[in-house]
Amino acid sequence: MRRRTRGNSLVYLTLLVSLVLSVFPLYWLFVVATRSNDVVGQIPPPLVPGGNLGENVSRLFAAPEAHFARGMVNSMLASVAVTVSVVFFSSLAGFAFAKLRFRGRNALLLAVLATMMVPVQMGIVPLYMVMVKLGWQNQLQAVIVPFLVSAFGVFLMRQYAERAVPDELIEAARLDGCSTFGLFVRVVAPALRPGAAVLGLFTFMSTWNEFLWPLAILEADNPTVQFSLSQLATQYYTDYTLMFSGTLIATVPLLLVFILFGRQIIGGIMDGAVRA
Amino acid sequence: MRIGKAFTATIATVVGVALLAAGCGGGDGEEAADGKVTLTIKTFGQFGYEDLIKTYESSHPGIQVKQENIAKLADYTPKLQQWLTAGSGAGDVVALEEGILIKLMGKPDQFVNLLDQGAGELKGNFLDWKWQQALTPDGKKLVGLGTDIGAQGMCYRTDLFAKAGLPTDRAKVGALWPTWDGYLATGKKFVAAGTDASFFDTAGGVYQNILMQQGDQTYFDRSNKLIADSNPGVRAAWDQSVAMIGAGLSGKLQMWSPAWNAGFKKGTFATIPCPAWMLGIIKDQAGPENAGKWDVARVPGEGAVRGGSFLAVPAQSKHPKEAAELAKFLTSPAGQIGAFKAKNNFPSAPKAIDDPAVSGAVDTYFNNAPVGKIFGQSAKTLKPVYLGPDNQVVGDGIGDALTAVEQGKLQPDQAWTKAMNDAKRAVDK
Amino acid sequence: MLFALFGLFPLIYTAWVSLRAWDLTGDAGFVGLRNYSRLAGDPDFWNAMVNTLGLFVLSTVPQLCFALVIAGLLNRPIRALMMFRLGVLAPIVTSVAAVAIVFGQLYGRDTGLVNGAIGLAGIGPIDWQASKTSSWIAVASMVNWRWTGYNALIYLAAIQAIPRDLYEAAQIDGAGAIRQFRSITVPLIRPALIFTVVMSAIGGMQLFTEPLLFGQGDVSGGSLRQFQTIAMYMFEQSFQNFDYGYGSAIAWAIFLLTVVVGVANALIARRWKGGTQ
Repeated sequence: MRRRTRGNSLVYLTLLVSLVLSVFPLYWLFVVATRSNDVVGQIPPPLVPGGNLGENVSRLFAAPEAHFARGMVNSMLASVAVTVSVVFFSSLAGFAFAKLRFRGRNALLLAVLATMMVPVQMGIVPLYMVMVKLGWQNQLQAVIVPFLVSAFGVFLMRQYAERAVPDELIEAARLDGCSTFGLFVRVVAPALRPGAAVLGLFTFMSTWNEFLWPLAILEADNPTVQFSLSQLATQYYTDYTLMFSGTLIATVPLLLVFILFGRQIIGGIMDGAVRA
Repeated sequence: MRIGKAFTATIATVVGVALLAAGCGGGDGEEAADGKVTLTIKTFGQFGYEDLIKTYESSHPGIQVKQENIAKLADYTPKLQQWLTAGSGAGDVVALEEGILIKLMGKPDQFVNLLDQGAGELKGNFLDWKWQQALTPDGKKLVGLGTDIGAQGMCYRTDLFAKAGLPTDRAKVGALWPTWDGYLATGKKFVAAGTDASFFDTAGGVYQNILMQQGDQTYFDRSNKLIADSNPGVRAAWDQSVAMIGAGLSGKLQMWSPAWNAGFKKGTFATIPCPAWMLGIIKDQAGPENAGKWDVARVPGEGAVRGGSFLAVPAQSKHPKEAAELAKFLTSPAGQIGAFKAKNNFPSAPKAIDDPAVSGAVDTYFNNAPVGKIFGQSAKTLKPVYLGPDNQVVGDGIGDALTAVEQGKLQPDQAWTKAMNDAKRAVDK
Repeated sequence: MLFALFGLFPLIYTAWVSLRAWDLTGDAGFVGLRNYSRLAGDPDFWNAMVNTLGLFVLSTVPQLCFALVIAGLLNRPIRALMMFRLGVLAPIVTSVAAVAIVFGQLYGRDTGLVNGAIGLAGIGPIDWQASKTSSWIAVASMVNWRWTGYNALIYLAAIQAIPRDLYEAAQIDGAGAIRQFRSITVPLIRPALIFTVVMSAIGGMQLFTEPLLFGQGDVSGGSLRQFQTIAMYMFEQSFQNFDYGYGSAIAWAIFLLTVVVGVANALIARRWKGGTQ
């Protein structure tokens, strides 16, 4: 009994330390967003929020060069579209790669993986040329369509499906006369839920945080949220309170999405709780 | 079969959402229905053109101007490169920072020759060296027209100077350093007084200033041959800077780092060569509580400028003639005065520099220093220096080598040898 | 289709550009393998290669180990679970600007908190950017900080797929929590382990953001390129020196290196797992 308590407090201690380390910069960002600009660079850094948040936020939305509201809307549309598509296609493709036998499976998987291995920075110029051909410069679909499928997602779901979907389950469903797609919807998709939730979370985050490509293809009057934030700092001087207020607001959707997807992962955990 | 259907449906939904969302994107560079020509001008940072563009539009009813600005040069540069590589997106007028312009001088065909657009007669509008920078060595092609320049003064902390027993009045301070030797001697006195502050922030800025005063060429001659190791001016600037590091004058701070930013407020360093655009930074970083502690004196030696920009017309523009007219207007003395009034961009046109709006400018934060006069003086006494397309690679290498000396990672001689080898390697690819 | 257009096209295009002398103003013709032979003799490239591999070892190994432990802990029935999970993911939602400033203050030379802390232990202040070792440690700590929670979440999702009865059986056999973790959890999430190992190889070979933030945006990575990674060198050549052809050759070198490191890692992960089973 005593041992168990000690073990548990060790668990909490470890987690608590990780938690504090992980969260501190985010908390500090919040502190700066609520204060005035001179706190940046103060040693030791201030730890208590101030009362300037409202003022900073209204300055943010009023900043003409940032088009911040437009950026939020654009990013929201892009992230939702990309996430829905990536989760769907990756689950399907991941399942196919993991469980179905077809010719050239491994070669195809390697080709998918290969697309991730050329650094993103070098992909920008060729991708830009494609967009010029399509006439999509400064159009929102330019930051959506290229990302509707994701090599990362396919690979993640393939690895996940390998263990999460037992072969016996598939065989049983086949005997019941399920088509491949029916099999996917009724049997595979529910089993993939925790993995798909993680993928959805990551995809939303990475689309939301994408900066290089939106900067390349969009212009300042039609930005994504990260592009908009970068417009707040000028060449030589950064108004940190303004930028951090923006960053803070830009983080809120991510937290909401986390809670949304988090429930899906939690489902399994609750079963675990019963066990102990 | 069923896979096919669901697949198509999903694609249709997703693409539908995307297209719906994208309904609001703006096209650029196209002619409007009413026959107006829309010119797109691409800028970075703060050019202060908003009011000027309005003026231009009202005096040119057939023209509409769209300005697309990117806040940071570091974000703008890759975009510019991608526009030029893809042959699309650069708009009609582009802003080119000095370093980029110099690189592009090696391949001027990406831009409209402004001499063909009647810019030749404007030569007298610009400081001679500024004009030369955008002119090919054979004098046949003009790539850009000068906008602002980073005319420099030497900013200093009056309270630290007083503490070290040095004069604080800007005329007397300027008299301490007619030359860089005088600056070094003053620095030694300052360090000996033991104020805990360093004399300047980093040797890189000082080196750059000394170098630009060493005659009409630096790393390259006019045929673009690397002469960095044989040009005595380069070595002199290097030796002078190393001597200052050796005397303990440098605060060894990286520019733009948090410690450097904080240094303005805390008084970590007593002097810093300050281009016109840096005054705003000092104000913001040092904060209102330090008003009057910073002041501006003249720079040692004759003339000093760091940075500045140009406007050019990309060859891909569909309206080169109209674009050139716009560029001429924005870079005219009147245009430059407008930009100075809007964002304190210091003009490169002598007429603008002598205009009371510029030459009479004082800065209250800096004890009412006559900054217009100080900067104007250093801009006008600077002599033209030829830089060459690979100037920045070589310059960055030397700057890094100086930092390594500051960090104590390399002996000065080793660092010099390394910088020269790196330069040779960078140039013959 | 989309893959072909947006995934493979840049790959092939980059390969084509790497065979040409291409700068900002366009194509200057086919140069065969000259960009590659120049690469082979370029000490800055090899320096960046060493840095990248060194940083990869310093960041991947602790990152994945910590992630595994945290995932194991988060799978236990504990209070305030949601908060902890949200918490470990905080680093990747924190904007890079905030990360840059916070770590800048931690590793500052004159007033940095880390120097303050080791100063108490009698160790003199370190100029973190000046030497290879210290800059690697600082950059690796940033990478570990940012990505540990991310990997932990992937492991956590994989753990959810493990059938409960395996644990119950083990409990009946009297296996403790740690024993269960080692002989059930770890082997059974092997696909997820391989995934993270391969992904961190891909990410590690392209490491760019963290060292750039550490150097306050300087792509040369220190005065003597102490912490310049290959991706930074590629960026410096293509977008700062406008040598796009050479940059593309470097991109292909990164590609090849990733393949080698990825395969090696996957093999090690496989063998390592084989050992415990």
